[in-house]
Amino acid sequence: MAIPLKYNLRSLLVRRTGTAMAIISVAATVAVFVSILALVSGLENVFALTGHPLNIVVIRQGSQVEGNSAVSVPTLQTLKYLPGVAKYGDGQPLVSPELLVLAFIPRAGGDKTHVSIRGMTPAGLALREQVRLVEGRMFRGGLRELLASRTVARRFNLQLGSALNFGLGDWIVVGLTEAGGSAYDSELWADVGTVADGFNRREVYSSVLMRAADAAAADQLCRRISDDRQLHLQARPENEYFREQMRTSMPIKMLGTFIAMVMAIGSCFAAMNAMYATVAHRTHEIAVLRVLGFSRRAVLLAFLLESAMLAAAGGLLGCLLALPIHGLSTGTMNFYTFAELSFHFRVTPQLLARGLLFAVAVGLVGGLLPARLAARRSLVEGLRS
Amino acid sequence: MKFAALVLKSTLRNKRRTILTVLGLGASLFLLVTLHTVLYELQATTITQESDLRLVTRHAVSIANWMPLAYKEQIRQVPGVKDVMTAHWFGGIYIDESNFFPQFAEDADKTFRLYSELGIDPAQRETFERERTAAVAGARLCKRFGWKIGDRITLKGTFFPFDVELKLVGSFTSPNLPDEAMLVFHYDYLNEMMVKTMRTRDVAGFYIIQAESLEAVPRIAQAVDEKFHNSTAPTKTETEKAFQLSFSSMLGNVKLFIGAISVVVVFTILLVTAATMAMTIRERTAEVAILKTLGYTSGLVFTLLLAEALSIAVLGGLLGCGGAKLLYSTVDLQQLTGGWIIQLRVQPEALALGMALAAVIGTAASAVPAWRACRLPIAEALRHVG
Repeated sequence: MAIPLKYNLRSLLVRRTGTAMAIISVAATVAVFVSILALVSGLENVFALTGHPLNIVVIRQGSQVEGNSAVSVPTLQTLKYLPGVAKYGDGQPLVSPELLVLAFIPRAGGDKTHVSIRGMTPAGLALREQVRLVEGRMFRGGLRELLASRTVARRFNLQLGSALNFGLGDWIVVGLTEAGGSAYDSELWADVGTVADGFNRREVYSSVLMRAADAAAADQLCRRISDDRQLHLQARPENEYFREQMRTSMPIKMLGTFIAMVMAIGSCFAAMNAMYATVAHRTHEIAVLRVLGFSRRAVLLAFLLESAMLAAAGGLLGCLLALPIHGLSTGTMNFYTFAELSFHFRVTPQLLARGLLFAVAVGLVGGLLPARLAARRSLVEGLRS
Repeated sequence: MKFAALVLKSTLRNKRRTILTVLGLGASLFLLVTLHTVLYELQATTITQESDLRLVTRHAVSIANWMPLAYKEQIRQVPGVKDVMTAHWFGGIYIDESNFFPQFAEDADKTFRLYSELGIDPAQRETFERERTAAVAGARLCKRFGWKIGDRITLKGTFFPFDVELKLVGSFTSPNLPDEAMLVFHYDYLNEMMVKTMRTRDVAGFYIIQAESLEAVPRIAQAVDEKFHNSTAPTKTETEKAFQLSFSSMLGNVKLFIGAISVVVVFTILLVTAATMAMTIRERTAEVAILKTLGYTSGLVFTLLLAEALSIAVLGGLLGCGGAKLLYSTVDLQQLTGGWIIQLRVQPEALALGMALAAVIGTAASAVPAWRACRLPIAEALRHVG
């Protein structure tokens, strides 16, 4: 028969300070663990969110990203009139040639960083339904006007009418957008011709974005463009293209995993210490339990469970402590585009569940050896203590 | 000192608890030292005499833009400039993306002149300067991939629409370890390939400038940028150190984040250690009474208890700090992390901080319980059931 849970719960409550210390230490570890997971999740989510399933990104064959790609102007004409490309109401193909460049501009804190400037045509906004113009207006062709996402505006201290100096002149922010947390929230948009002039990139685009009429057409277009031996291009669905950039999170993931592992080991030692102390103080109790008829296994399980309960309580507290971090926005460098990437910490139910599991694992590992010791103690010795 | 034996015996009384406390403390301090070192490396720059005399000129708008080759001669004529070299970041892939390492296309005849701190066999250097498709790599890089002189190395182009086929003709060493993680080949070869496949030629990604003296450095930076201020390719010139630092500043709030984690870790171990020490001392309340009966003063007993806690803490500190230093100086980090981290040089400040923290934790954790235990009247203490 198993020892009733009430015994463990009551014991935890009796030794209040010891219990509290153990809970707090596990809580701290779990809070850090969940925060790291939230950081990585937020970063990767940016790429998971970006892209319309029917949009296709066309870049140079052999390039990894738009930044190191080149698509010539004549090629654009070929791409525009391929069968399967969706069209506007008036029959114009829904295609946007784009030029991605970098500008070095000052952050709100003062230090400068690289920001992506995406030159595009108005089709670019139409193709990206997840981006909405919320304030101001669209940029006009031939003028140095910018659309800034609200996130970028905040991080770089910009408003409607602010001027930025780069690419041979001053550019004015004429509109603000909301891009739903996608990668486009880290970009400044402008007219492609003006960007080409300002950055001396007149004969090539970085990429072409187009909408396929339907899923089958998307598939066909991608294959047709990539397989064409004369074009030297590759075409991929937009969301797939962005998902590959998730690897930016790699160094942070590595560091985070390392930190979590070491903290877990430290916590295990602390938990072990606490449990050994508990067992040492309850030698008499344990002996009485054995006299009453509970088996060695029951004692082992009871202490293991007690350790797990302690850790679970710590885990819950830790998750609660980490919750406020959700939504906190920050930025880092996207290693694929070399530009600033904005994202926020993202705490999800799955994350919290993982935190809890992590806590219970620490509790079980830390409590195993002490529990075995409790079970192994000789009955007679225990009664005498 | 005569009480050293007593203190030692006390720590060995509950061996398991002592060991676990030492291990727990050690793990936490190991983490702290690691975090401190990571932060240090993120902001580390080259610190040789030669690097102090070097400047980097790049396109003012962005690193990704190119400057005309014509700038080189103009820069050379700026007073105070000893020599100028063209350079490009090639950024190619060697077999797989995870084998990341820096690759530069430079003026081969100038590489070892401007980077005079690099050590290379003169015959290898001569071969490198002579052959167009030759490449030299740092000793560490060669070791990482098991390259031998004469090996053919192919780098798949990413920024550039072509691959480069190189022959390894030499390996170099450097007092600054990260230098040994890179590969250098001829700018002329790159230019040749660019003419064949792209319609651009004669462009430079960076210019590396060697100044004649330290005083000339700020003057050069200003003069160069002024010269090209109103052209289509305005420049930004800064010391090599400032250039390297500009990359780490782009990593944003990482510093804040790491700092926050460190605070949490310190707080946690303090708490846990305090609990353990308190527990130990409370259990020995009866013994404290016996010692006092024997004639030990309260002050002496207090000191003994503190000494015990301190020794355990210091042991944990040595384990954590020493362990970190040992680990990072023996393990090949570049291989382990796929090129992301080249080295983690644990600084004396980090070790000092770790040990100081250990001492503070040992003292702070035991002070209050020890004081309480010593204040108890003997009779009460003897009755105490720990």
